[in-house]
Amino acid sequence: MRHKFSSRLNNQPQKSTEGLIFFYGIKTKIVIEELIEMKKILQVKNLEKSFKGNKALKGISFDIEEGEILCFLGPNGAGKSTTINILCAALRCDNGEILFEGDMVNKNIKNFKRNLGIVPQDLAIYENISADENVKFFASLYGLRREELNKCTEKALEFVGLLDKKKDKPSTFSGGMKRRLNIACAIAHNPKIIIMDEPTVGIDPQSRNHILASIKKLQQNGATIIYTTHYMEEVEEISTRIIIIDHGEMIAVGTKEELKAKLEDEKIYNVEVENLGALNKDEFFKVEGVKKVEVSESNVEITTLKGVENLDKLIALLMNRNVKINNITSAVASLETVFLNLTGRTLRD
Amino acid sequence: MSFITVFKRDLKNLILSPVLVIYNTLFPFFMVSILGYLTSGNYKGGGVTSYDYYGVSLIIFTVLFVACTAANSFMEERVKSSNLRIMYSPINPSSIYMSKIAATFVFSSVCVLVSMAILRLCFNVNYGGENIVYVIILLELLNLLSATIGILFCCIFKSEQLANKTISPFINIFAILGGVFFPIDSLGKTVEKLSYISPAKWVDEGIFKIIYDKDLSYFGPTVIILIALTIIFIIGCKLTFKVEDYV
Repeated sequence: MRHKFSSRLNNQPQKSTEGLIFFYGIKTKIVIEELIEMKKILQVKNLEKSFKGNKALKGISFDIEEGEILCFLGPNGAGKSTTINILCAALRCDNGEILFEGDMVNKNIKNFKRNLGIVPQDLAIYENISADENVKFFASLYGLRREELNKCTEKALEFVGLLDKKKDKPSTFSGGMKRRLNIACAIAHNPKIIIMDEPTVGIDPQSRNHILASIKKLQQNGATIIYTTHYMEEVEEISTRIIIIDHGEMIAVGTKEELKAKLEDEKIYNVEVENLGALNKDEFFKVEGVKKVEVSESNVEITTLKGVENLDKLIALLMNRNVKINNITSAVASLETVFLNLTGRTLRD
Repeated sequence: MSFITVFKRDLKNLILSPVLVIYNTLFPFFMVSILGYLTSGNYKGGGVTSYDYYGVSLIIFTVLFVACTAANSFMEERVKSSNLRIMYSPINPSSIYMSKIAATFVFSSVCVLVSMAILRLCFNVNYGGENIVYVIILLELLNLLSATIGILFCCIFKSEQLANKTISPFINIFAILGGVFFPIDSLGKTVEKLSYISPAKWVDEGIFKIIYDKDLSYFGPTVIILIALTIIFIIGCKLTFKVEDYV
């Protein structure tokens, strides 16, 4: 609990109140800083969805607070896209409800959609019209007109670094520039919530860094971002909270620190070996602290309790069985290992 | 307002597609040139030339194929993802398919008029003189029906490829029954009766009656049937179009 509180504290915005008072006749400026309760912008309750009898979502519930960057992680087919499509109001759920700023989304779906900006995984731009025509067209669908439309278009293009290319057609753009234009089309109408479905797929590192920096800037400007990706390092870099989904269920929620803490009581040794021979996997469990052993042809991965000094015993066990040890490494808990541990799969499975 | 925005975008997409522009304007010209020349011997003596016959029937054929243009405007790879972004926006879902129908109709209407003008100039095709307005109304209503059929097939099959594959045989059957390539009335009473299931037949017959007999008796019923079918197919679009089928 202590950890959770401290990590939330780090992300918690502070409200400053300035004022002037007279204290014993002396004019004094006081600054009151107080922690403000973050507002729940979206509440998702017990989402269920089936496709032809197959349950794609089995009761997903979570809240999103204003100004968060919430990352969705999950292997292919885990239910991520279904959740995202329901959040985009493009797919109806069988059960459950979504509340936007406390109100049921179903009751005023147009208002909800007006506050959403969606960056689809596939490039959703017109190649045969200029960049600013693209942004203007999509922004006008959200009710922006004339001066306001022009201003917001310029702002969005400037934000993604394409203002100097506004009259160019996307057919002349690089992959990264097209991705940036894809984002500009989603943010021009100043949405409160931006849903990004793998916005950095297949682009160069420079454009990727630009996009990640833009996402952080959007958050600083007050937008709430829901982000899905296959790149764990992106999640490490930008997320304020992570949801891991597998088989249509939420299997973990928390900040990256909280998720890593789930593995903090464990230590993983990776032993590269030769001639494993007849060594029985079960023999490792006789060593104190060993929780899990994965054996492959030239590799033994031993998960053991942290704080139990058993490396010498594990080495001795291998040496007694005439196993040649080539290398031993100790893995630090990363999101990748957390993910693997929780789902039993890698993110790209 | 959003409907107008999407409609303008859809129309521009069609205009900016050279393949569709050429297909809808120059294709009838080339077809009439070839078939008119090849069959010119069969039409000697009467007041009707082979160019007159194909100048009308192949325009009808082109108008029937507007269904494929409509499917293209809805689901062509080039516009598919952008259409999805439109579906995510707060516009009324019916604006999405209605704008495609309207854009295809306007685009192909202009193309048909251009084709007719070219054919009139090059081959002096008879379009009814003072009664040309009735001819144009029938062609444009068939055009609207074809655009609606194309979009309905997209709504049903959710794929341009599948929609086009299904539409093509239908159109060809309608075209043959409508006597687009050759008059089929001489093939017997049964074939003649069967030919009336094709809207192309009523339009074809109606137009020839207007042009050569100054007879408008087919005009009213054909207009009513074409409008009724269009309304039925638009209702079909409303019932079958669901945003979630496209995400």
